[in-house]
Amino acid sequence: MGSSVSHAAAPPPPLPSPSPPPSSVGLAAALPPKQDEKAEPEKVDWLNLPCPIPFEEIQREALMSLKPELFEGLRFDFTKGLNQRFSLSHSVFMGSMEVPSQSSDTLKVPTAHYEFGANFLDPKLMLVGRVLTDGRLNARVKCDLTDNLTMKINAQLTNEPHFSQGMFNFDYKGTDFRSQLQIGNNAFYGGNYIQSISPHLSLGTEIFWLGHQRKSGIGFAARYNTDNMVATGQVASTGIVALSYVQKVSEKVSLASDFMYNHLTQDVTSSFGYDYILRQCRLRGKIDSNGVFAAFLEERLNMGVNFILSAEVDHRKKDYKFGFGMTVGE
Amino acid sequence: MASNVSLKGKEKAGKGSKSSEERSAKCVKEWSTWAMKKAKVITHYGFIPLIVIIGMNSEPKPQLYQLLSPV
Repeated sequence: MGSSVSHAAAPPPPLPSPSPPPSSVGLAAALPPKQDEKAEPEKVDWLNLPCPIPFEEIQREALMSLKPELFEGLRFDFTKGLNQRFSLSHSVFMGSMEVPSQSSDTLKVPTAHYEFGANFLDPKLMLVGRVLTDGRLNARVKCDLTDNLTMKINAQLTNEPHFSQGMFNFDYKGTDFRSQLQIGNNAFYGGNYIQSISPHLSLGTEIFWLGHQRKSGIGFAARYNTDNMVATGQVASTGIVALSYVQKVSEKVSLASDFMYNHLTQDVTSSFGYDYILRQCRLRGKIDSNGVFAAFLEERLNMGVNFILSAEVDHRKKDYKFGFGMTVGE
Repeated sequence: MASNVSLKGKEKAGKGSKSSEERSAKCVKEWSTWAMKKAKVITHYGFIPLIVIIGMNSEPKPQLYQLLSPV
């Protein structure tokens, strides 16, 4: 995509100067030298490690930068707040949606729908519901049963029989660990556990069992993060290896890269992207090893009014998707 | 002859006890499936109205016209 490539080629904004300005001799004698403070490492309190990120969000920085919600067509979202906690949302979408097909050609079906949603956000209870014109309901419930135990319910209900899905999650948060139990329809049972090993490193594991297909799997994940970078790795018995690395180059710019290998289908994908968070806009772009270039721009026109542009160009499949839209409301 | 008749009698008694357990398990399954179907229909139609009712009763109470007007 021309715009994303040209943006990548443009020089990045100048980084803030990291070194302190040279001080005069008098000041240097009076103040304690700064180098000593930086050289001495902070003491690690091994009994008070921080609580780790939840297991499903272990790659969230990479996903935020590399997988924006690209769309094709027109999108208009209007969110109206009636209350601090209660709001209604109306959303219109007109465009093509991709239908998975057996051949390598992409099959696009023109669709248009209106979606009505209601949100109730309380510190202890969160209810989010969205209903579409074809009768599908997306429901999300998050409830804090106690300080450490949280219950989440996620459901997609349709009018067609046997196509509905639902999942219950129970999360328990400890001082330096988190554990989660998942129960879903089609007899899906899963659990995961993540533990902080050091202030920067956390390791986790997950296990799942599908009842109807008698499939089970186990996976391991690791996450290392400092103030400026996040590196994660995930290995699963389904034959998937996923690595990601995100570097925060400055306050406004971060770069991300991602590598995924599927052993069963011998599929390798790697992508590299950038995320510019500027005062009036947020621009994300990525380049893929499948020949896909994508860019996503959110521009703030006014207080509460955002203009969105989305572009995805797949050179290998010759599939070009462009979308535009507006979001009104917080 | 007598042993055959007694054997047949024992088989029938064995089948009878098994079928009552199977029947109760089937009943529980049928009831739970019926309950899940009803719960799905109730959730499908009632979830969004439930959120709206909870929201309209939360503090500070919004007015009814605010539900429909775009301002």
